[in-house]
Amino acid sequence: MNEPKPPRWAETFLRFLLSPRDRLTVTGDLLEEYRENIHPQRGQREADRWYLSQVAGFAFRGNWLWAALLSGSFITRTALDWFVPPSDFYMRSFVSTWLAVAILLCAGFWAGRQSGLLRSGVLAGIATTLFSAVICAVGTGCLLAIRHDAPTLAAIQGSGGLAEVFTLPVMLVLPGTLLGAVGGLIGRIARRS
Amino acid sequence: MADILGTFEQAVLLAVVRLDDEAYGRAILKEVQARLQREVAAGAVHATLGRLEQKGLLVSRLGPGTEVRAGRPRRFYTVSASGRRALNDARAAANNLWRGFRWPLKGSYERTEASTLG
Repeated sequence: MNEPKPPRWAETFLRFLLSPRDRLTVTGDLLEEYRENIHPQRGQREADRWYLSQVAGFAFRGNWLWAALLSGSFITRTALDWFVPPSDFYMRSFVSTWLAVAILLCAGFWAGRQSGLLRSGVLAGIATTLFSAVICAVGTGCLLAIRHDAPTLAAIQGSGGLAEVFTLPVMLVLPGTLLGAVGGLIGRIARRS
Repeated sequence: MADILGTFEQAVLLAVVRLDDEAYGRAILKEVQARLQREVAAGAVHATLGRLEQKGLLVSRLGPGTEVRAGRPRRFYTVSASGRRALNDARAAANNLWRGFRWPLKGSYERTEASTLG
């Protein structure tokens, strides 16, 4: 009989998150637990869900700092635009855009240097922007709950509206992927040199 | 005295001591879960093992894989002399904090004469 297997893509994803030193041992530990304990007790579907949650845990541990920095800068910018609206958004846009670029490049660089794989940088970019999008949605929701008087609502409209605030972090996934790839490439080169 | 270990770090180090020659990632994870009586993410144990090894409290070596692991090797951990010292320090610190109290705590009258230093 064939041994049960976790989703192949999830295992591949996990390998990209790990350093070469831990790649085989950690994936081996999870596979052993999956086959000997989780799958016999919970069945294929629940075992796969368990495996995915473990992989998500590794992804979060590797990228939470970058996600926190990215979402922190976004929420700060949003709060400033809503509560201290400027006459011209140029300087704020300039600073927040380049800050986001720097954070995503660093996320990719860190992952690429740790694993020696360009794909780790790509995944770091995706994971960072996705985790950040969730934090941003919660954070901006809280800002709105704290203050939603008429001047604030007018400032929200003047800064692009609510739709932009909630969709922009999600739209960052694509540039985040590209910047993560660039950072990952630099990180890989740094590891080899 | 070195940095006092956190509760989770102590749980991981003590699991390695308990498992002795069989202390590898998955076995440590299960031992920690059993002792803490809760689900623990593999990533949390893995990160802690890495941190403790970097601090020199653990040493590791690779061992052979098995069929159920698709032949992938296991990393076995041993507590170093510094690790044992850190565990002893953590235990001594906890003992000092608790000295003179009856356990479990119910109220201030549970304090005994020995609960003050000096």
